[in-house]
Amino acid sequence: MIDPRPEVIGRRLAPVRRILAYSSAKGGVGKSVCCVLSALALIRAGCRVGLLDLDFQGASAHLLLGVQPHFPEEQGGIRPLRAREALDFMSFAAFSRENAVPLRGGEVSEALLEMLAVTVWGPLDFLLLDMPPGIGDELLDVLRLLNRSEFVVVATPSALVLQVVERLLALLEELRLPVRGLIENMTRLGEGSARATGTAGRGVAAAAERHRLPLLGSVPYLPDIEDLLASPDPLRGELGGVFGGIARYLIGQERIGVV
Amino acid sequence: MHEWALAEAVVATVEKIRRENGGRPVLSVSLRLGELQGVDPEAFRAGLAAALGGLPYGPETFRLLSDEATFRCRACGRLWPLADSPGISQEEREAIHFLPESAHAYLRCPGCGSPDFALAAGRGVSIESVELGGD
Repeated sequence: MIDPRPEVIGRRLAPVRRILAYSSAKGGVGKSVCCVLSALALIRAGCRVGLLDLDFQGASAHLLLGVQPHFPEEQGGIRPLRAREALDFMSFAAFSRENAVPLRGGEVSEALLEMLAVTVWGPLDFLLLDMPPGIGDELLDVLRLLNRSEFVVVATPSALVLQVVERLLALLEELRLPVRGLIENMTRLGEGSARATGTAGRGVAAAAERHRLPLLGSVPYLPDIEDLLASPDPLRGELGGVFGGIARYLIGQERIGVV
Repeated sequence: MHEWALAEAVVATVEKIRRENGGRPVLSVSLRLGELQGVDPEAFRAGLAAALGGLPYGPETFRLLSDEATFRCRACGRLWPLADSPGISQEEREAIHFLPESAHAYLRCPGCGSPDFALAAGRGVSIESVELGGD
């Protein structure tokens, strides 16, 4: 038996200029929040952006975007849902709704292949992948099927998180994959980057330096971030500054030909 | 139609096989359509016709064979056909049609109720054989 789906994935993603995988080896660090806010900031900067939630077992980007899961339209395949007026969006939740989806690794790969084979993305400057935590099936499938992906790694200042995230960075380096930088999330006053606190050798900034990567931004710990995300303009105030800077950096990389 | 995307994938794969074999003519292609995905054969044939535009073989080259969907419970070992999961709503069937792994959100083993089951057969579209001229 021959699986026909891999052959068409390149064609489906041909209208997408760049693919950014928001990753972290550890859960609960805010990958989805950073991915969604980056997507909104890139749109604000004038880019055409799509977001694919690859966290099949813990899909949550639709909640952050305020999207009620519903079946996509069919037209030569399935068309992404529309979120926040300008964001093309696809998630397993469009099919599973709010039910638990207990999947084993092979089933995760099947679902990913299917989504990539039948989702028809329009012309996009960026497709952001909201990756699940870890370095398991989804990451390996992205490396196999979306081999032009660039990585944005999300971490918190927690020593435990950093230890695990540095393993991911080491793996990405070993595979010579493009990592565009780190985002430090949930930074509390006084415990953030080494640059900010003067704590040499510690923090996300120190990890970034060790891996010769830029620290794209430090996102403050905001207890009301979910309320902010549910508001009409989540990028107002401090978040707009941080993610506006991240968006400019990511766009600028392309302009100066770093890609 | 969603079927068109699957048909396009089939034609792209057959074309790849044809290229890798020096452009030999495609005489027949056998496809398996898994019951779980519920592909509409008519819509799928229309998708094939569209994807084959300009190629030297037509939809009549493709033989569509259906595969019954069966599941195997990893907890109790029971093997059961899709027909033994009668409680699925139309909306759930639609979700499974779009993405067969959605079955894990809606189905349980009829024997022990476990969500830990494997799809043993009949998932989606696959190419069983491609016969080329000169084979």
